[in-house]
Amino acid sequence: MAESSAADKSVQVKLVLLGEAAVGKSSVVLRFVSNDFQPNKEPTIGAAFLTQKCRLEDRVLRYEIWDTAGQERFHSLAPMYYRNAQAAVVVYDITKASSLEKAKSWVKELQRQANPNIVIALAGNKLDLVSAAASSSSASGDVSEDEADDATATPGEAPAAGESDSLRQVPREEAQAYATEAGLLFFETSAKTGEGIVDLFTEIAKKIPIEHILASTRGGAGRPGAGSSRANAPRADVNLDDSTKPKEACNC
Amino acid sequence: MSTISTALRNFKEPTKDELTEIFFSIPSAASTPPAPKDEVTNKTEEVERMEINAVMSMGVHGEEDSYAGKLYLIAPYLTFASLDRKSVRLTLPLSTIRRVERLNARAGIYALSLALWHGSKIIVQLTSLRPTADLFCSLLRDALKIELQKGQMKKVKPFVKTCYSETLVTESATVADQEHEDGSLIAEEKDSGPRESTFHGGLGLRFKFPGDPRKLREASKIKLWTQYLKTHGRNLTLLRYPQCTRLVQVGLPNRLRGEMWETLSGSIFLRFSNPGYYEQLLKDNEGRTSASTEDIEKDLHRSLPEYAGYQSEDGISALRRVLQAYAFKNPELGYCQAMNILAAAILIYMSEEQAFWLLEVLCDRLLPGYYAPSMHGTLLDQRVFESLVQRCLPMIHDHFQAVDVQLSVASLPWFLSLFINSMPMIFAFRIVDCFFCMGPKVLFQVGTAILKINGEKLLQVQDDGHFLHLMRDYFASLGESAHPDSNDPRARAITRFQELLLVSFREFAVVTEEMIQGERRRFRSEIIHSIESFAKRSAVRNLRTLERFTKDQAGLVYDSLYRAMCVFPPPPATLPPPSLLTTDDQAGADKPETRIGLKTFQYFLSEVATWARDEKIVSNGFQQRVDRSVAEHEFIDRLFFFWDVSCRGALSFQDLISGLDGVMFNGLMENIEWFFNLHDKNKDGFLTKDEVLTLSETFLFIFRYEIGDAYLGAVSRFMSNAFEYGDALLPQPEEGDDSPAPLPANQPYLNLATFRMVVLADEILESFFETDLTASFRLDPLPESFDAAATLGPSSSSSSGILGDLWSTIATDSNKKMFNMFTDEIGKAVGKHQVVHKPSIGRYTTLEEPKARESLLTPGMRHSVSRGSLRSIDEKDGVRLTPERTTPGISPGRVSPRPVTPTQEKKRERVVSDGDSMPLIQKAAAALLERPQFEIDHVESEDEGDDAFGVGEDEDEGVDENVMDEVDAFLEAHDSGLTEADKEVAKGLIDAKPMK
Ligand SMILES: Nc1nc2c(ncn2[C@@H]2O[C@H](COP(=O)(O)OP(=O)(O)O)[C@@H](O)[C@H]2O)c(=O)[nH]1
Ligand SMILES: [Mg+2]
Repeated sequence: MAESSAADKSVQVKLVLLGEAAVGKSSVVLRFVSNDFQPNKEPTIGAAFLTQKCRLEDRVLRYEIWDTAGQERFHSLAPMYYRNAQAAVVVYDITKASSLEKAKSWVKELQRQANPNIVIALAGNKLDLVSAAASSSSASGDVSEDEADDATATPGEAPAAGESDSLRQVPREEAQAYATEAGLLFFETSAKTGEGIVDLFTEIAKKIPIEHILASTRGGAGRPGAGSSRANAPRADVNLDDSTKPKEACNC
Repeated sequence: MSTISTALRNFKEPTKDELTEIFFSIPSAASTPPAPKDEVTNKTEEVERMEINAVMSMGVHGEEDSYAGKLYLIAPYLTFASLDRKSVRLTLPLSTIRRVERLNARAGIYALSLALWHGSKIIVQLTSLRPTADLFCSLLRDALKIELQKGQMKKVKPFVKTCYSETLVTESATVADQEHEDGSLIAEEKDSGPRESTFHGGLGLRFKFPGDPRKLREASKIKLWTQYLKTHGRNLTLLRYPQCTRLVQVGLPNRLRGEMWETLSGSIFLRFSNPGYYEQLLKDNEGRTSASTEDIEKDLHRSLPEYAGYQSEDGISALRRVLQAYAFKNPELGYCQAMNILAAAILIYMSEEQAFWLLEVLCDRLLPGYYAPSMHGTLLDQRVFESLVQRCLPMIHDHFQAVDVQLSVASLPWFLSLFINSMPMIFAFRIVDCFFCMGPKVLFQVGTAILKINGEKLLQVQDDGHFLHLMRDYFASLGESAHPDSNDPRARAITRFQELLLVSFREFAVVTEEMIQGERRRFRSEIIHSIESFAKRSAVRNLRTLERFTKDQAGLVYDSLYRAMCVFPPPPATLPPPSLLTTDDQAGADKPETRIGLKTFQYFLSEVATWARDEKIVSNGFQQRVDRSVAEHEFIDRLFFFWDVSCRGALSFQDLISGLDGVMFNGLMENIEWFFNLHDKNKDGFLTKDEVLTLSETFLFIFRYEIGDAYLGAVSRFMSNAFEYGDALLPQPEEGDDSPAPLPANQPYLNLATFRMVVLADEILESFFETDLTASFRLDPLPESFDAAATLGPSSSSSSGILGDLWSTIATDSNKKMFNMFTDEIGKAVGKHQVVHKPSIGRYTTLEEPKARESLLTPGMRHSVSRGSLRSIDEKDGVRLTPERTTPGISPGRVSPRPVTPTQEKKRERVVSDGDSMPLIQKAAAALLERPQFEIDHVESEDEGDDAFGVGEDEDEGVDENVMDEVDAFLEAHDSGLTEADKEVAKGLIDAKPMK
């Protein structure tokens, strides 16, 4: 891999996953980072920390992913994790209506308390449970090229309401409408089949103001004492030392 | 959506007695559940406490030095600690004392010899004055008698059989035969039959213990411990001398570890005093689920999954039972992630019953508040840790500040999981050994040592991610040599882990338990405040609608609600019933929401509406204060049900917001309508005659403290007009918008239009509805003064006067009450005691001459009131009370906030700004670290090689010495606190004969 040249342009993006317990946050991350789906064996206290690179045109984004614990009582610790985050994925489970309510409350909290420029994506997970028949294996291939705030649904993806939808508790349209209104990216995903996962992270990457981040860090990128003034500024260090993490494959 | 908890109000400083209990690992009264068996339940009779100066020696020559210290009787325990509080420490259940004799010693020396169950003998020389010593002895005698009567003495024998140390000491040669004894659920019947070896043990006995026993020098450690336990007692009677701590510091041997953990932590006393409790608890809750069941289930397979025991159903179900049992015992705490890690860890070394009690001690005493729903203990200790780092490692602290790296990113899991989730198990368990032996300060010592050792690299860290990677790499390398390049082979042999412990306990010996306590004290209220304000913001954010309130105003409503909940906690019914909740998907759909009942509502309303409280201005010459109490009236109940739109008999925060919205933003006409509707019970648009009367009563209630007769007159005019118009309109409705002929049966009588007309006919009522009603709702914080309301934390008081400043230094509620009573009495004595009710509206008081109520006021009172802080007194007119229309934020009839002293103001300001920045929560960093797998933890399938208790084959000769080298590394000077002469006296006592 042409690491050194890529590293020069790689931008570090802090991303946090939030959502009710068991909606599939860890599974979504695992799918994205390892393209795998398996029971979560990692006991995490507070949050798990993973990194994954994501190529975008000529850029390489290095996601620093914070997968928070879902238990309600860790809620008050969440600000530790979303502070300075440039992106957030708020996950709900489309087969559980209450999880969307929780997601909305996370969105509100983020919009009020997190970095004001944060890119928030809403992800309705476990799509495979309601579209067993319809889910196509080509899912990760034909991506909707819709821009971030474009509200149109991924073409040809949503199965017609009805049929295998008995498990679905959150209509796609409802969530989409809410996301549009709240200014969020919106995806329905399945960590199990992989559907929508890559799109999710790619679209976030597109929406991140990379130029802005690069510009703001370029000036003070020198190591010592660099960030003394960035207590509240979005953090995005240029990672100069990617070669120390060779195991992290880029599957974008 | 949101639940509001006032639990943090109980998060107080431990009392002195509690600290003593904590120090000696004595179960607190609260953590001892009522035992299922009757015979044990009455043991909460008067707990006698006494402490006395004493010198303690072991009753054997040359075994140990004598130490000066303090002997405590805390029935049913006898405890001793040397003066330095660390060299010698013991906690003995009284039931293990088999014989007490007064020794026949030199004149002036008062000494007792205590023979303990395990055959050890200790001699305590009571060095306090004679009468004190006599008293102590008689209390001790009484306490022992009680234990004897309760049959506790008899319980010792069967109990100690469950302890591995007995087997170790008595049949040390054949211990290896017990290899496959899992002992997990051995019942403690009195006669466990001929089998002597019914000791409890953990999963490790079946699935092996983590690590290589040979490298861990298990055999040597067992040998050293066997010696120690033989001479110094064990399990219930362990005497802790310096050697004990040193042996713990080199790592407990696996087989003994579980028992030593329960002994050192004191959880053994809980198990001893609650026989059968664990099993009974499981039996009682068989087939039931709790609110935590689902959470527990999710984590079972992610609790040390690399350990063989948890790849088996046996291990998983043991873990499940222990966690569930704990959740049943303590439903308020229930289950918190990280408890699974602790439980899984300790179950490797101990039986379920042992683990259950140890978990209790961990959650309740050793890690207080760590796992509570608000996790306040965790947040507090993270704050304390940060401040320690600031103090001990200022460079690292400053660097982290500069690059905005959060310490808690890494340290949160260290504390929450006792390092088990961060380090290889074999190392983490050695820290846990020290933790149980030396207390929670160990976590702070090790934490700072980790940072110190990695200091240079940490100064290069630029963000949270780097920090985490660095820590991860460091933990993975703990087994490596700390000085790989050294020429000295001995130095090369020192592992990084050993280095870590050395730095922890040597360089950070300055971190003491007292220091931690002090730091906790310092930050406690800050943490409570930040958690509460976080909860408040969430609650406000999660409102379905703010109605016409701003966020800040909604916040003030929340504050009032919160204060009300502190005084009258809502019934637990609003929380999910702990053990009946079904676990289907629907359960989560209807999230529990805090709802308050009538009583809480009355209090709430008294906070926001002037007429819903009775306020008495009390002057006694020393101070002037306002005593408030909650008014009770049918109108308030009416309002409660009026606002209960979903008919649940309880109001949510949202209901209060919507309800208040209905009255706080309205003009004249809307207010009249609102008031009308409130009294129109069947909502048919008509008031019945009764309802008109009720409505009039409401007027009288609201106006009950207005000075003069103006309001009284207005109400009586209202009544006569209402009935006049009502009667006139009855047969033939005049108004165009009137409805068809009213049915006599329902007695509809007065419609809104007529009501409006009657009201508008009266100037006073008109202005009441135009402005006063709305203005009587005030959201600005009340100065504290409710008798019952002193729970309100760091807020202001509303007292002023000569002793005003003193007020702020009177800390507790009861003190304040006493002070008030005291000054009142003096005031009465000198004729300066005055009480006057404050009006709720306070407008038209001058329209008519004050009559009836004026008689309450004496000239002296006028003077003192005006001299005081009541701004609404118009001195020219004597007692005329006028509302303060011009002063925003001060409602009619409210004492001005002037008495707040500057320091209090400052405090309040600080609190406010803290709230805005959420210091801890935001500063506390993200934590994480998925648990890595560590090669070093891998179980060695090889036999443990300790069968013969010989020297390990491939180790060189001096294994024991090697172990002791490590021990000596920790050797500290232990000050016995005695002069040479004293030591001689103590030695002499060993041979003294009992007195006849
Ligand atoms: N069918 C299906 N199950 C999923 C999906 N994502 C997660 N799960 C399952 O949902 C459960 C919770 O997943 P987890 O990632 O631990 O949720 P988290 O608590 O939000 O991190 C696990 O049993 C997963 O196997 C998905 O896309 N489809
Ligand atoms: Mg997860």
